[in-house]
Amino acid sequence: MAEAHQDSGGGGDFDLTQFYQIFFEEAGENLDLMEQMLLNLNLETADDEELNGIFRCAHSVKGGAATFGFADVAELTHQMESLLDRLRRHELQPNSFMVDVLLESADASRSLLARHQAGGEGEALPTSDLVRRISELAAGGAPLTKAPELTPAPAKPSSSAADAAPQKTAAVGKAGRSLEIRVGPLEHPEQADAIRELFRDIPGLGEIAVIPSDKKDVRLFAVHTASTDEDLLDLFAFHVSRDFIAIKETQPEEPAPIGLATVSGDDHPVGAALAAFPGFGFFDGAPGAPVTAGGAASTGTEVKVAAKGAAKPSGAATAQPEAATIRVSISKVDQLINLVGELVITQAMLAQNSRALDPAVYQQLLTGLTDLDRNTRDLQESVMSIRMIPMSIVFSRFPRMLRDLASKLGKKVDFVTQGEATELDKGLVEKITDPLTHLVRNSCDHGVEMPTDRVAAGKSETGTITLSASHQGGSIVIEVRDDGRGMSREKILSKARERGLDVSDTMSDAEVWQLIFAPGFSTADVVTDVSGRGVGMDVVKRNIAALNGTVEIDSAEGYGMKVSVRLPLTLAIMDGMSVGVGNEVYILPLSSVVESFQVKSDAVSTIGQGSQLIKVRDEFMPVIELEKVFQIPRFNSGKTSDIMVVVEADGSRVALLVDELLGQQQVVVKNLESNYRKVPNVSGATILGDGKVALILDTGALVRRSRH
Amino acid sequence: MPLILAVDDSPSMRKMVAFTLTGAGHQVVEAVDGQDAYEKAQGQNFDLVLTDQNMPRLDGLGLTRKLREHPQFKNTPILMLTTESSDLMKQAGRAAGATGWLVKPFDPARLLEVIKKVIK
Repeated sequence: MAEAHQDSGGGGDFDLTQFYQIFFEEAGENLDLMEQMLLNLNLETADDEELNGIFRCAHSVKGGAATFGFADVAELTHQMESLLDRLRRHELQPNSFMVDVLLESADASRSLLARHQAGGEGEALPTSDLVRRISELAAGGAPLTKAPELTPAPAKPSSSAADAAPQKTAAVGKAGRSLEIRVGPLEHPEQADAIRELFRDIPGLGEIAVIPSDKKDVRLFAVHTASTDEDLLDLFAFHVSRDFIAIKETQPEEPAPIGLATVSGDDHPVGAALAAFPGFGFFDGAPGAPVTAGGAASTGTEVKVAAKGAAKPSGAATAQPEAATIRVSISKVDQLINLVGELVITQAMLAQNSRALDPAVYQQLLTGLTDLDRNTRDLQESVMSIRMIPMSIVFSRFPRMLRDLASKLGKKVDFVTQGEATELDKGLVEKITDPLTHLVRNSCDHGVEMPTDRVAAGKSETGTITLSASHQGGSIVIEVRDDGRGMSREKILSKARERGLDVSDTMSDAEVWQLIFAPGFSTADVVTDVSGRGVGMDVVKRNIAALNGTVEIDSAEGYGMKVSVRLPLTLAIMDGMSVGVGNEVYILPLSSVVESFQVKSDAVSTIGQGSQLIKVRDEFMPVIELEKVFQIPRFNSGKTSDIMVVVEADGSRVALLVDELLGQQQVVVKNLESNYRKVPNVSGATILGDGKVALILDTGALVRRSRH
Repeated sequence: MPLILAVDDSPSMRKMVAFTLTGAGHQVVEAVDGQDAYEKAQGQNFDLVLTDQNMPRLDGLGLTRKLREHPQFKNTPILMLTTESSDLMKQAGRAAGATGWLVKPFDPARLLEVIKKVIK
């Protein structure tokens, strides 16, 4: 649970913690969106809509953080908001220093939020340096060093009377301290009003507001200032004896600071901004306003607003589609998918049992079953689509990473994405992110050349990395392309020989490229801290294979390379081939099945320790007898021919010996591990049309088993 | 039971406001921005509109202006919940026809205290 919230004044009956989770998610989304917009921001052509959008993200996070009592986040985002406010008002021109510091601040906000979400344990990330850098940029937009300057900080708010009013509140807003000043008891309490005038007359002194006092002879003020108590007392002493003044520092979370209307040195008439400590007010005579008398409203809460120049602040009426979405927990969706899975099985059972019925007699029943079949299929498709999320979720993390990486390496890289709207199962999206990250980093690190090298090679200085996603049949294909130096066939071959791999010069390009998936293989000349440590492509390939996916590489030396990852759309449904062994039925993932054929029993040769091999088109491959793996009795063991199914995984092939091929079908994958326990050589289970359970074989495990 | 239209693009703020109000026996209709609020306001009689200022599509001031054009909202209290309490903002709020303002952040008790003043 999140950190205990300190209630600010009278709200003790309400438990705000119940809204924390919503706030954390919302703030995370806002920060992500802000980062994305910052990265897409073109500094020269930034338009109002973009700047307003970025501003609104910071604004929302600040509002929530302040409300829910996360003062550190509120403080930081308030600074960001102030800078962004000046940008959207075109008082400052955006530059890359600002983007940098805003990106860093977004990261810092995330980390602060994560700490609160974890219950506030551990050291909070220090943000004072960021706060200082932002406020300096907001003040003048000059590029600054990270080192703290020697001038005393925080400086007194240096707003002068000539300053434009709008950003004044923001600039003064949080610098300094919030104080409660008690004046009295006085014989003539109106003496104290002179103190208010001091704040009006002295620019930069701070802000003051009247707090309703329960004693007639005592005046209370809420003050926000950067001045010391001593300075204040000296000033006040002109009007009221020091003995009657008590200064007390108030909590920064109190709603006062941001809510105070400024009375200090601006050119509004005195009456224009009688701020009310409660942080609310009614316009005199406005529709629905309470009649002026009694209550807090009479203690100076009405504001007589000067009618002149009712300037409309640059609003934020940008066109953005309405968020017509609801938030549902994954477990609910999974339960729904599970239930639909059961329904599919029941439907399949009914369909199977109904085959024996006479169509002439049971016509209506059979029509109903056909409808049920169609509806079940549609329902299943719709339900599965709930778990589908767009690839943009994955893609969006790359621009930032590449920006940092490219600047670290001194390279210039443009990042292009295509087909972000392509949808993929959420479970797959989570698992594909790391391999894709690796591929993109590789492209930037090893693919794209240094700017000078690129120019020398007759290319443009800036390299391009393209990440695209598209649906092809029942799969999704994700491609990482770069226009860098590509791979050198010779280099890979010589490296492979060095490592004692079996290679020849007559190998096709595709076969050569596949060599880089060998464990520990890297052709990088230098080992950088980015990639190229030789742990990489093999892990990428294994991770993708674990998702029933495949990886292909295409490259032309000097022109770049392309890595294509092909994945099934979902892990919950799989195309399988069902095979019979004895009385059991097993499912093989269709993606790993290469071919099946019938052989004479004597074509299998036995080598040492009972291992068997079969020669298929000049290639020997191990034979695995499933009945031995799963220890099941086999009938007609005296037959003279066998059925073999060749499966491929981890780059090796094995032939599985089975009794019969039953057919191909889509199966709903059930997790065996969570429902029962981990079973060797089995990746899951499914329920067949006749209600029987069939195990789904883990071809990767079977292939590895054959190596021993 | 008083019917209140609560407008904020931030789900957490909206939920907090709605929870606070329903807890105090009010009925609440939520809207995600000014445009949504304006559409939901059609044909309904609200006793109070509580709106955020900075929202996509239609901001709080814009919403207030549009609502005031309708006879049914001529006298409905409209309170702006805003982090901006500058004079300009207040002038704009008054010019748009808002009833009053409440500065964010506020705590639930304060919110109830304020709306008690405008709801019969």
